[in-house]
Amino acid sequence: MKAATRRAEALAARLPPLLLAAERVAATVAAGLHGRRRVGEGESFWQFRPFATGDATARIDWRQSAKSHRTFVREAEWEAAQTCFLWRDASPSMRWHSTLAPVEKAARAELLLLALAALLLRGGERVRLIDAAIPFSSGTAALAGLAEALEHAPEGAALPRAREIPRFAQVVLISDFLMPVAEVRALLARFAALPARGMLLQILDPAERDLPYDGRVRFLGLEGEGEAVIPRVEGVRDAYRARLAAQTASIADCARDAGFGFAVHSTDRPPETALLALYMALSA
Amino acid sequence: MSFDTPWLLSALALLPVLWWLLRVTPPSPRRQAFPALRLLLGLTPAEESAVRTPLWLLALRLLAAGLVILGLAGPISGAGGALPGSGTLILVIDNSWAAAADWTARMAAAEGVLDRAAQAGRNVAVLATAPLPDGTAPRLSPAMPVVDARARLAAITPEPWPPARAAAAAALGAQHWPQAGVAYLPDGLAAPDDRGFAAALAAAGPVLVLQGAGPPPRLLLPPAVAGESLVARLAQLPAPGPTPPAVILAETGDGRALARAVITLGANAAGGEQAIRLPPEIRNQLARLVLAGPASAGGVVLLDERWRRRPVGLAAADAIGAEAPLIGDLYYLRRALVPYAELREGNLTDLLARPLSVLILADRPIADEAEAASVARFVESGGVLVRFAGPLLAEHPDAFLPVRLIAGDRAMGGAMSWGKPAHLAPFPSASPFAGLSVPGEVTVARQVLAEPTAALASQIWAALSDGTPLVTAAARGAGWVVLFHVTANADWSNLPLSGLFIDMLRRIVRLSAGIAAPLDAAPLAPAETLDGFGVLGPPPAAARPLAAGAFATTPPSPAFPPGFYGPENDRVARNLANGLPPLAQAAAIAGASVADYAALGRTRAFGPPLLAAALALLALDLLLSLVLRGVLRPRWVVLALLLALPPAARAEMPAGDNPALQTRLAYVVTGDDEVDRVSRSGLAGLSDYVNEHTAASLAAPVAVTPGSDDLSFYPLLYWPITTAAAPASGQVAALNDYMSHGGIILIDTRDADAGAEFNPGGAAMLRRLGAELAIPPLAPLTVDHVLARTFFLLRDFPGRYDGATVWVQRDQDRSNDSVSPVIIGANDWAAAWATDADGHHPYAVIPGGDRQRLLAYRFGVNLVMYALTGNYKGDQVHVPAILERLGQ
Repeated sequence: MKAATRRAEALAARLPPLLLAAERVAATVAAGLHGRRRVGEGESFWQFRPFATGDATARIDWRQSAKSHRTFVREAEWEAAQTCFLWRDASPSMRWHSTLAPVEKAARAELLLLALAALLLRGGERVRLIDAAIPFSSGTAALAGLAEALEHAPEGAALPRAREIPRFAQVVLISDFLMPVAEVRALLARFAALPARGMLLQILDPAERDLPYDGRVRFLGLEGEGEAVIPRVEGVRDAYRARLAAQTASIADCARDAGFGFAVHSTDRPPETALLALYMALSA
Repeated sequence: MSFDTPWLLSALALLPVLWWLLRVTPPSPRRQAFPALRLLLGLTPAEESAVRTPLWLLALRLLAAGLVILGLAGPISGAGGALPGSGTLILVIDNSWAAAADWTARMAAAEGVLDRAAQAGRNVAVLATAPLPDGTAPRLSPAMPVVDARARLAAITPEPWPPARAAAAAALGAQHWPQAGVAYLPDGLAAPDDRGFAAALAAAGPVLVLQGAGPPPRLLLPPAVAGESLVARLAQLPAPGPTPPAVILAETGDGRALARAVITLGANAAGGEQAIRLPPEIRNQLARLVLAGPASAGGVVLLDERWRRRPVGLAAADAIGAEAPLIGDLYYLRRALVPYAELREGNLTDLLARPLSVLILADRPIADEAEAASVARFVESGGVLVRFAGPLLAEHPDAFLPVRLIAGDRAMGGAMSWGKPAHLAPFPSASPFAGLSVPGEVTVARQVLAEPTAALASQIWAALSDGTPLVTAAARGAGWVVLFHVTANADWSNLPLSGLFIDMLRRIVRLSAGIAAPLDAAPLAPAETLDGFGVLGPPPAAARPLAAGAFATTPPSPAFPPGFYGPENDRVARNLANGLPPLAQAAAIAGASVADYAALGRTRAFGPPLLAAALALLALDLLLSLVLRGVLRPRWVVLALLLALPPAARAEMPAGDNPALQTRLAYVVTGDDEVDRVSRSGLAGLSDYVNEHTAASLAAPVAVTPGSDDLSFYPLLYWPITTAAAPASGQVAALNDYMSHGGIILIDTRDADAGAEFNPGGAAMLRRLGAELAIPPLAPLTVDHVLARTFFLLRDFPGRYDGATVWVQRDQDRSNDSVSPVIIGANDWAAAWATDADGHHPYAVIPGGDRQRLLAYRFGVNLVMYALTGNYKGDQVHVPAILERLGQ
């Protein structure tokens, strides 16, 4: 009990600034672009319709059915299209920043995610975290719950399992996308098959972009990949940049193939531009 | 330069190998976490240029390795010379008076011997050959490790007597160690038991004799008196080569050197002498002769009253009438001279039968041939004949007068005269009375007149305002004939009634030569004795009384050390040379090897500092390596270095000199460097004393200039009066302001109330200050005053001088808590409080004694307490009244 209280206090101490930053970033974007405020309003319930043969018995709304002699089925048809599934990479490699960047990649990813969620919620849409055990949330008050869920999300898997994505969902994936391209391609293929569409945002540290080291350096991986001793880092810089470009290009290809948008964000840049790109891509 | 373990130096050959190894081994890489490691795996740079350790780091490491090798090899400087024997080392030191002159070099040589014994791991036994001050014979210490022997050695001091070689030989013979060796540091002088001592040394083991390279032992002999001069005599152990000339200083009791004599000693000279020519009155201030150079009891000769005793004989024509109070011829003379001189009275023949310094004849003609002959002998041999005129002398002038008198006398200002009694003119500068102030009330109504001659002007010591001589004098042989042209009673003038009369007579007595007292058989107790370095101190425990007649025959020993013997006002000096045989070279010890002090100098091991330096270099290397690998950030290193050097960093901070933060004493800058220096060291000494003995905490004193410095921070201002320019009006205003706001100024004229003698012009300066400063009415400081009981209960308030009156505010000023804003005295307190860097007192107190110094410090403590607490102890003054009231 005590431990839980302490955690809650620590969380409370940390959340407001994050939320505040997210709201601030979101406000800069929302002000000029988003003209239609209440699209899809009243979607939480669509309609009851009489039970028809072939409907799954699980979809019968028993409470409604008990009021009369007929059997009703609860319809939630438009949900998929109006719900945005968000995900950010929580792997250890995201919890890193070089001396060139002010914040960790994970922090920037969470900020962008929450800012985007704030924008969407303000627009009356529903957001949900992929792989998180919380229900769909809507309304501006849901932002706090979302932040708390982010905080409680376990570190780990580099890519979401993406089992419970409904059809036609909007999906936003924020990660450094430094994992093997095949994994990303497989995931996106699953999304495309639903079908679901969305946006990929690659967050990179400036040091990952430029490899600004010199001399003999022993590089250590953050996820147990082992280590690599480079005798002269300046000698491999060009080759590294080529590999990184190839990786990014591959991810972009995958995204295009799956009908997803793709953007790259560097943590030494302000988050507003990335958020604008994300939001434009989603609202297009 | 040698090494403890020289073979370790061969490891230096490994340094090139180490160089090669360090050169081919790349430095460990920096560690860098990196998320995009997957992209880096398998990448290899286009050209593999070996990453080398930077050259400077390589040099640093090689230097550290070299220092480690050198340090472990144990370099030692100054090692050389071998000690005799292989077992216990017996260190024998002559610590007699003759050893004091080169004591520092002797101790260094002994320490060098101990250094080598420590390297060889030998035990050491120490033997000092002079008897101890408690009279016990020299003892051989047990064999002990060198560490203990060093402490034993440090406790040995030179003693002011010759060694007891027989007892030392017995001590050596009583103990035997196998394989022992002897290191002997002799004083070079022969002693009666040398033969047995040498045999005992040789029996103990092989002997190494260590000799110094300084001048041979010198002994200052008591001076001889030859007429006006004092002949300083020096004995020296004859040396084959030339020796440096001996410089002898004639010093007063407070350490001022008044004269200097140089004795040049040729090869094989056994001594020499040199006359010190001083006017008698200067010579009479001498307290000792000191051989310049290293301090030693042999270089000090104490002078006592034998060199300055001045008996004064008084004789009058009418022996009976001369005794009559107020009108007798001798009445005023006796009262003037009794405090200062030994007086004898009687008829002329009896007086001259005994040695006499001054003979005073009051209106007594020298009648017959026999008397004239004895008086002439007295004057020719250096006596001072003082004559007073009178009716008899006016009628019968004789040959013993400095001037020819006109028969009869002249009278001025009588009932039948138009003239008025004459006043005195200021004394001529060539007169012995010069400097005495002439009081206006002294008048001369009648006198004998000198016949005017060409030489008369130079013979006048005192004259009337009209130029008529009042006191005339002429040198005759070695002595003087002085004539007062008036009577010794108040008949002809009121001069005998004035204080000037006393001063004039004292000056004349001081002019005379001293007479040695006969040495008799009464035993005299030792009062103050010399130590081995020639410093006076309390007598040792074993000192016993000794008859003055036996001084010359009793050799110096712990029982009869050199120094002052006898009661306080009749000290007789016993000098080291009294009772010592002539200096003779000690016979060489058969079979002993001889070495110079320098051959066995101090050794110094450089191993530990080298290893420490190597350690520091390696620590630096570690830090640099960590920085190069990226583990440490440079700014952390800088931070660590800053933290490691906090004292240095603090030392560079500007010292806060805010005077408000600490209580401290202050003195007024006079512009005279010497006086300011005394003030500073005096207040520093007083501050230390106060800090040590009371709860007050005073910081170092500061110099202030009134008017430009803010005085309000200082509770007490010490102001020695000098003859420098008068303070500007701004300074006076600042001081008045200071006093009116509760400050206390201690004004010190430093002249012991002696007027012009000690601090010429000081009195005039004080008068001028009194006119300008707002000084309240003053009264003498008494034991009832608060100042006499703020901390200690004091009856006297001495400084360097004693007895001068101290003045404080007379009336109680309620507005200032009855605290006197000014305290004026003449006792030169700062000089009494002063200490030098070693904690010694550079200025002797007069008349002297530890007690006076202690009282001076106590007065200082009371003064500080008075300044800090005001009238807090005032209640104590009223305790009797309060108790009385309570009783009712």
